[in-house]
Amino acid sequence: MAAIALVALVAALVLGWSLLVPASLVLLGGMYGAELAIADASLDAATPLFAAGLLVAAELAYWAIEERESAEAEPGEGLRRVAFVALLALGALLVAALLLALADSVSAAGLAVDLVGATAAATVLIVVLITRRLGSAGATRSG
Amino acid sequence: MKRRGSPRLEGYAALAAIGLVAALVLRRPELAIAVAPLAVLLTIGTRLARDPNVDVDFSFEADRTLEESDVNAEITVRTEAPVDRLELLLELPEGMTAVDGGGAFALRLHAGEERTIPLRLRATRWGLYDVGRIEARARDPFRLVVWQERFESIQGLKAYPSPESLSRILSPIETQAFSGSEVARVKGDGIEYADIRDYVSGDRVRSINWRASARKGSLIVNERHPERNTDVVLFVDSFADVRREGRSTLDDAVRAAATLTTRYLDRRDRVGLVAFGGVLRWLRPGMGPSQRYRLIETLLETGVAPTYTWRDVNLIPAQILPPKSLVLGLTPLVDSRFVTALENLRARGFDLVVVEVDPVSLVERGSGEIEALAYRLWLLEREVLRARLERLGVGIARWGDDVSLETALEGVRTYRRYARLARV
Repeated sequence: MAAIALVALVAALVLGWSLLVPASLVLLGGMYGAELAIADASLDAATPLFAAGLLVAAELAYWAIEERESAEAEPGEGLRRVAFVALLALGALLVAALLLALADSVSAAGLAVDLVGATAAATVLIVVLITRRLGSAGATRSG
Repeated sequence: MKRRGSPRLEGYAALAAIGLVAALVLRRPELAIAVAPLAVLLTIGTRLARDPNVDVDFSFEADRTLEESDVNAEITVRTEAPVDRLELLLELPEGMTAVDGGGAFALRLHAGEERTIPLRLRATRWGLYDVGRIEARARDPFRLVVWQERFESIQGLKAYPSPESLSRILSPIETQAFSGSEVARVKGDGIEYADIRDYVSGDRVRSINWRASARKGSLIVNERHPERNTDVVLFVDSFADVRREGRSTLDDAVRAAATLTTRYLDRRDRVGLVAFGGVLRWLRPGMGPSQRYRLIETLLETGVAPTYTWRDVNLIPAQILPPKSLVLGLTPLVDSRFVTALENLRARGFDLVVVEVDPVSLVERGSGEIEALAYRLWLLEREVLRARLERLGVGIARWGDDVSLETALEGVRTYRRYARLARV
């Protein structure tokens, strides 16, 4: 699965298809999830690192695709962007670590936690749908 | 500016949703935690994104340039809000190129900043250009939202044809009444010596040739040729254009017309123009620098407008083709309507010269036997056509790849030296 994810990411970068970036990262996350499910261990302490890695991989992939289709940047913009991505990675690491600690502290699991999770997932799905609709409407207007 | 989500926004939202659902299905909170930073980034990024209100202007340093010469231009950008990355793409019309790159720029602007981007553009072909369509795309620091707008700050640029090398031009057979630089064939007051004859009452004393008078024993006077101006009409064929790999017979014809215009106007001749084709354009003969600009700007508008209708020289107003004028036809000799028009002009007694912009090198010979035969037949038909025109007393200057305009006109000069103007 890792090989497929890698191929998808390389294809996204070579062909400039931004849709393949989340697809490859989903495959990567699926592999991580499968490993977690098979191991059936307690909370994985490496999750913050995985979260930061996921964000960095996505940022760099999108940046590479943007550079393919855009103009030559001003001197120093590359370095500034690298610093910004590093800052984002650090933030992702902190957020994930905080959430991991919180999850570790919440030992009680049950219907309430499941409901909260389901609501969060449904909310994000709705946001995705709205974003796509707004995006296509904006593209139609501008086109 | 129009706002839309970037592919990053959609991708992160999809990843966050899938991660949360997977966490529920597999009952592993790590998956939700892994995608949580993406959800946080989405929330913060979309909340902080503000319309930058960018304004873009385009201007040229000059509104005229020469073909293949550079012209300076600038793009001015103003923004109200900070823009992490502003991409500008200047859409250049065909025939116009940016000298230093492709006309695409990426900038970072602070709030209220105004920036001017210098540009060097080059017109690779003569013509009228409208430049100033700029596509602007602004991105927020998180690159989640994109604002896009197309600015149309259109500025016109006239690219004049580059002149061909030409040191001598054709002299018309007949001259006009006004003084100019052409030595007239008629005799009168002038500088150039013409002949001597016996003195008659009324001749000026200063005209007496004392040396000849002493030898003959009676008064002899000098006759001289006066210097007169001429009328030249450039008759450009805009019925057809043979074009291949960036070369075009119409482009070359316009370049030659511009060169001839300049050279004839420099010696105080009156020059007029008729662009004879699908669209008929004309300009009455005139002289001086302003006529030069008028002529060249009319030439710039010349293009091939396809038409199947028959056109006759009767359509051209009489004032455009003054009597005794030299008509210079600039044509690839591929449209029979233009050839007929040339024959009609010759039949009306105009002093006619054809500058044939040779299209032969622009036409492929063909690979097959039939194609090769057709090509040879076409060449033979062209020879027949040239011979027909020459029998009518029309000088033909064949201007092509390996023959300069100067050399082609020299050939006509030789032809005209031995030809006589005949009324046919």
